[in-house]
Amino acid sequence: MMLRPIYAVLEREVVRMFRQRTRLVSAMVRPLIWLFVIGAGFGTVLARANGVDYQQFLAPGVLGMTALFGAMLAALTLVYDKESGVMRMLIIAPFAHYWIIIAKTLSAALAGMVQALLLLVILAVLGYLDWKMSFALLALGIVMAALSCAGIGILVAAFTRTLDNFAAIMNFVIFPVFFLSGALYPIANLPALLKLVAMVNPFTYAVDLLKHAMLAPLTQSGTSELSVAVDFIVTAAFTVLAVIVASWRFSREQGYEPLIHILTGKRG
Amino acid sequence: MNDARPAALQSAVHAQALTKRYGDVLAVDNLELEIPAGQFFGLLGPNGSGKTTTIHMLSTLIRPSAGSAAVAGYDIRTEPIAVRASIGLVFQDSALDRTLSVAENLRFAGLLHNLTPALIEQRSGELLELFGLNDKQHRPVGSLSGGMRRALDIVRGVIHHPRILFLDEPTIGLDLPNRRKIWRFIERLRANTGMTVLLTTHYLEEADACDQVAFIYSGRIVQRGTPRAMVDALGRHIIEIEASDLSPLIESLKPRLGPALKEGDLAMFRYALEDLAPIAALQTELGPRVDALRIRRPNLNDVFLWVNSLQTKK
Repeated sequence: MMLRPIYAVLEREVVRMFRQRTRLVSAMVRPLIWLFVIGAGFGTVLARANGVDYQQFLAPGVLGMTALFGAMLAALTLVYDKESGVMRMLIIAPFAHYWIIIAKTLSAALAGMVQALLLLVILAVLGYLDWKMSFALLALGIVMAALSCAGIGILVAAFTRTLDNFAAIMNFVIFPVFFLSGALYPIANLPALLKLVAMVNPFTYAVDLLKHAMLAPLTQSGTSELSVAVDFIVTAAFTVLAVIVASWRFSREQGYEPLIHILTGKRG
Repeated sequence: MNDARPAALQSAVHAQALTKRYGDVLAVDNLELEIPAGQFFGLLGPNGSGKTTTIHMLSTLIRPSAGSAAVAGYDIRTEPIAVRASIGLVFQDSALDRTLSVAENLRFAGLLHNLTPALIEQRSGELLELFGLNDKQHRPVGSLSGGMRRALDIVRGVIHHPRILFLDEPTIGLDLPNRRKIWRFIERLRANTGMTVLLTTHYLEEADACDQVAFIYSGRIVQRGTPRAMVDALGRHIIEIEASDLSPLIESLKPRLGPALKEGDLAMFRYALEDLAPIAALQTELGPRVDALRIRRPNLNDVFLWVNSLQTKK
């Protein structure tokens, strides 16, 4: 019964993603800059650890970053839909309004997955992919990274009224989530406070899962700091929790009616 | 979805003491509304009178503070999803995605209503033909004119063949030729499907086509009936008098013509008789004291103005 409406939201996301080419191109260029500029640059001053150089160490984090930006920006289209009025089509459709949040979360995760896969293809073509990795774990890692990042995004989107403060969302959500995870450095080496922040950041667990997939086969001891099971449970539980909180917030907004007022300009 | 209900509904909308309060403000005040199935019903009133709030309560988008309503036989409080499955809603502002094409927007709306892609394509074809948009299928919505976008928004609102269509100011912001076009589309749609239409507007000449209209003022229905009966009840003629010093003139004519409606230098009187001889006499009598004196038939605009003036005086 709900398959077609959910498919409608997914299809629209994919159509819009490939139509906005600059968004897609910058989503590919951003991680490549990190990998080839920052990765190569810092690689010259950092020693190899556990048998991988810094660029190799960075690869899972950069893949996770692609999923993070892809899923976050797609989840924030919930706010764009409120502003542009497309939300009207969704709230008038014959299903409970929490389905809007579920469908939007899934479509954001899909956007994150597609962009992560595109990056993998680019890395493979450039010869930067080590084929010794575990593909099953990689698939799980990409899915869980995309889902948990979509969860962060939908949570932010449900509490955001307008995209005017998009810069604030970049500075206070997306960048901290990226920097305060294990994407750029092992969290074990972080000062106590930053380590604590990293441990409550779901993105840390998503990146750790990607490290299991991409780096563990290359090294003896591995660079992951947590177990696959912990990574999976934390990212899955966070996604479910995020969807529940966002749904609660979204339907509460319906109940108290500010949303319908935004959509109708408080007239009549 | 609607199988459990009788095929022929007696009333499409039945509201009882429907009330919406925002803090101290009564947006809709004990509204009673009965719209028989298949009717073309106009809800008329000035801005802020509660028209849109009423439509949003009936379409389950906002919850009433008190009272109840059944739409297509379903309770708006307890069966909101069944209500939304039975209605189409065209908002004052567009619901379309400007980055998608015409066909993609209709596909999105259709899939949200659980229609199969084949059915969406078939209905899109039929409806776009009906609304004169069939050559625009692959155009991005952002490139359509305001009139075409409005037409498409209505197509979007009826793609799932609702039994009841809510049109909230469907022609607002459009120029006259485009307003006329939209009306022709709605007429054709009604002729083809027999769907119940609840319309709000303040372009009153448009409501002349309604089977029944109700005037809403401060959240209450103050008058209802067929447009013809309401216009007839106003009088046979409207006498318009233009003069620079109106107020004493209005007072002096009050015993003969009754109260006037004053708009700037213009006073309007209701005149109940078909015989215009007394008015001709009046014209001679007033002579140079007036700049102009006109006699015309009343229309729904006059009903609206008189209803409003009576309400404001209360």
